[in-house]
Amino acid sequence: MSRPFPYTFISCPCADTPVPDPARKRRSRESPQKQSPQKPAPRPSTSEGEKKGLAAGQQEDEDDEQTFDPRSPRSDFSLYPPEQLLYCEECHQIKCSRCITEEIVSWYCPSCLFETPSSMVRSDGNRCGRNCFNCPVCTAPLAVSTIENATGNGTQQGPWVLSCGYCLWTTLDIGIKFDKPTNIRSQLQKMTDATPPAAFDRSRQASRTLESLKHPLSSAASVEEHARDRDVDQPTPKEDPAAPPMSTDARFAALKNFYRAQIAETSNSPNDHLSSDFGFSSPGALNRLMSLYTSSSRLGGLYGGSKKAKSKPPVMREALTASEGLCIAPKNGEADIIARLASPECGWEGVASLEQRAAQSPDARFVEDLLPLPVLLRTKRAKRCKSCKHILVKPETKPQSTRFRIRLIALSYIPLPTLCPLAFSSSSSLPTMAPTPDLDSLVPLRPIHVLLTLKNHMFDPVRITLATPPVTPGRVATKVTVLSPQFEIGANSDVWDEALQGASAPLSSDSKSAGLGQRGVPEAGKVWDKGRNWTTVVLEVVPGTLPGSSAEGGDGNPETTDEDVVAVAASKKDEDVLEIPVFVHMDWDADAQLDQQNLGKSSRADDKVTRELAYWMVLGVGRIQASL
Amino acid sequence: MPPPKPSKSEYIETDTGNKISRRSQIHGTQHIILGGKTVIQAEAVIRGDLFRGASTDPNNPSTPPSTPSVAINVGRYSYISKSAVLRPPSRLHRGTHSFYPLKIGDHVFVGEGAVIEAAQLGNHVHVGKGAVVGSMAIIKDYGYVLDGAVVPPGMVVPSWCVVGGKPARIVGEVGEGYGVEGADGGLARERYRAVGRA
Repeated sequence: MSRPFPYTFISCPCADTPVPDPARKRRSRESPQKQSPQKPAPRPSTSEGEKKGLAAGQQEDEDDEQTFDPRSPRSDFSLYPPEQLLYCEECHQIKCSRCITEEIVSWYCPSCLFETPSSMVRSDGNRCGRNCFNCPVCTAPLAVSTIENATGNGTQQGPWVLSCGYCLWTTLDIGIKFDKPTNIRSQLQKMTDATPPAAFDRSRQASRTLESLKHPLSSAASVEEHARDRDVDQPTPKEDPAAPPMSTDARFAALKNFYRAQIAETSNSPNDHLSSDFGFSSPGALNRLMSLYTSSSRLGGLYGGSKKAKSKPPVMREALTASEGLCIAPKNGEADIIARLASPECGWEGVASLEQRAAQSPDARFVEDLLPLPVLLRTKRAKRCKSCKHILVKPETKPQSTRFRIRLIALSYIPLPTLCPLAFSSSSSLPTMAPTPDLDSLVPLRPIHVLLTLKNHMFDPVRITLATPPVTPGRVATKVTVLSPQFEIGANSDVWDEALQGASAPLSSDSKSAGLGQRGVPEAGKVWDKGRNWTTVVLEVVPGTLPGSSAEGGDGNPETTDEDVVAVAASKKDEDVLEIPVFVHMDWDADAQLDQQNLGKSSRADDKVTRELAYWMVLGVGRIQASL
Repeated sequence: MPPPKPSKSEYIETDTGNKISRRSQIHGTQHIILGGKTVIQAEAVIRGDLFRGASTDPNNPSTPPSTPSVAINVGRYSYISKSAVLRPPSRLHRGTHSFYPLKIGDHVFVGEGAVIEAAQLGNHVHVGKGAVVGSMAIIKDYGYVLDGAVVPPGMVVPSWCVVGGKPARIVGEVGEGYGVEGADGGLARERYRAVGRA
């Protein structure tokens, strides 16, 4: 989802630590050195004097191209909208979707919102076992409806079909009707599985009889066994031609049964002592190889090492009958299909598209072969921190519930950034008709003011230091100045507490400062506006000129055609998007909870611990227009 | 983003804080319930006149409901953008074509030019610009319909799911922080406040 301007993204610090190393993550709590390429300056302690010099240090350090570049291909993988980020209280670090592991809490059908027990998920093939189907043509959900237009009262009777409300496909198109409106999936299964369950039994019986036939043979002299194998190679059983062709699933099941039987037979024959010794019922390739050698050597000792003994190990045969899953390709099947493709009654519409076929059986080539698809299940997932394994998100299992048992989202910890343009023309000639600048076409070189509001959701006041590179990275050099880079945000006290503390205004009187800031002139070193738990600062932005645009070099050259500009702009996609990297450093005094090891480091007199967190965020201000 | 404001008295503000554009088209007002602090922008069409019983029933024509039945119910802080259409869903049931109520939850955003014929939009639902939500569709809480999507009739969009495309399919999920006040999905109050501000 691309977002409309203005937007803010936050960079997850994990981008700099490609290997998730728990030790490293944990260390980062004490020393912010972890993201050393991005960190402004090494800060040995949190003494007040040091902090004052911080901003200056940042400004210096940022020159050596270590700033976050929102345009670098890597940053695509670290920038997230704030609401998607989580926060690990154990690591004291922002967590993105790459720094977490997920585990499934429950499966549910997105259509009927029923939970599927985990034991049923596999047997149902990860699909809804009820009446939920998707249209095989357009993927829209299918509705169960009756064909009979029962205008009269009384219960609706008659055949039922699945119909698509989007493309008007119905199961009648493939000649399927249902007797009752419930349990459609099993009804459909019965219709499409041409082989009833009895066929399975028959095939199993057949292989069993073969087994019983073989066993006495195999236990006899191994010389005979070879002959027996050759015997079986002749297609002995006769298939009754009336037997309907199996469906793909049924054939797969038959083949599976057949091969399982084969494996059991061949590996458990008394010749391979190894396998019988170890009791492996399923022989791996290694197992078979081993038994091959041991048996031959054994036999070699017994029979004097004849060449024949080597070829004695049992040979797995292939499926021979349709009941075993054999499917002989029709004589001119391909030709038939091609003829049908070319025939006028099929046409382009009659051929199933690749997307349609992807979810269907491999034999489905035409639209008539497509079957309704049971809806794929979705999951609710819990999320854990990859490095410390703490649970960050745990939703309630019920599919209908939107509540969480645990939800540590980053927004509860880091200030929520919001951006809005200031309706204030810097030309200051006509303040009355100052419209908010059109963010989709910012005029190059004309300064605009952007309000950045940071809203604290923590119950501790936070000190914030913002830093930006003076000029944005990339070819379009936009000058950015944060007018007041250091400020505090109040604690997110309970609104009710405040209200109950009496109507005495002073607590909420910071609105008076709003009056001060409103309609004022952005001033360096002053915050624009301040509220209970939020602070707004002004960013002065001078959009750069696009390379090749008429505005380049300051004096406009109106002769340059717009086509040139457009061509240049197109050559570097989205180069005209003005994105400002902002480094946010926040520290606050948190209650020292349980992590005692921190206490020795930076504890205050009372059991408060100074915590700090630093990250990059990207402010998407707007799009710079090509010419002045 | 505050919408463009043509004139001073563009919006009528009701007792419960609904801001309704004078240029919106609202039919059958007695069948519409607005929860308060709802914004209805210009050229939005709200069809409260399509309620159950509106279709003439040939079998028993003597069923004019004594109490006006509700056709559209909108929760608090919901926002109906410019030229969006709200239309109660209908269904052919036992041979009669009848309308069903359209329920819209709190903090719902309906984008510009969107057509809503759903049976239900949950809380914090976002319907993008130009999207179409088909008849009797249900969008659960925190559902997100991308711009231009066509949600087919009868589709159910589970909570936290993002749907898009024609026909709409589930293409992703919104983050856990979606809907937090002030963040994406939680801007309804601000949106409300910005409306009609001088």
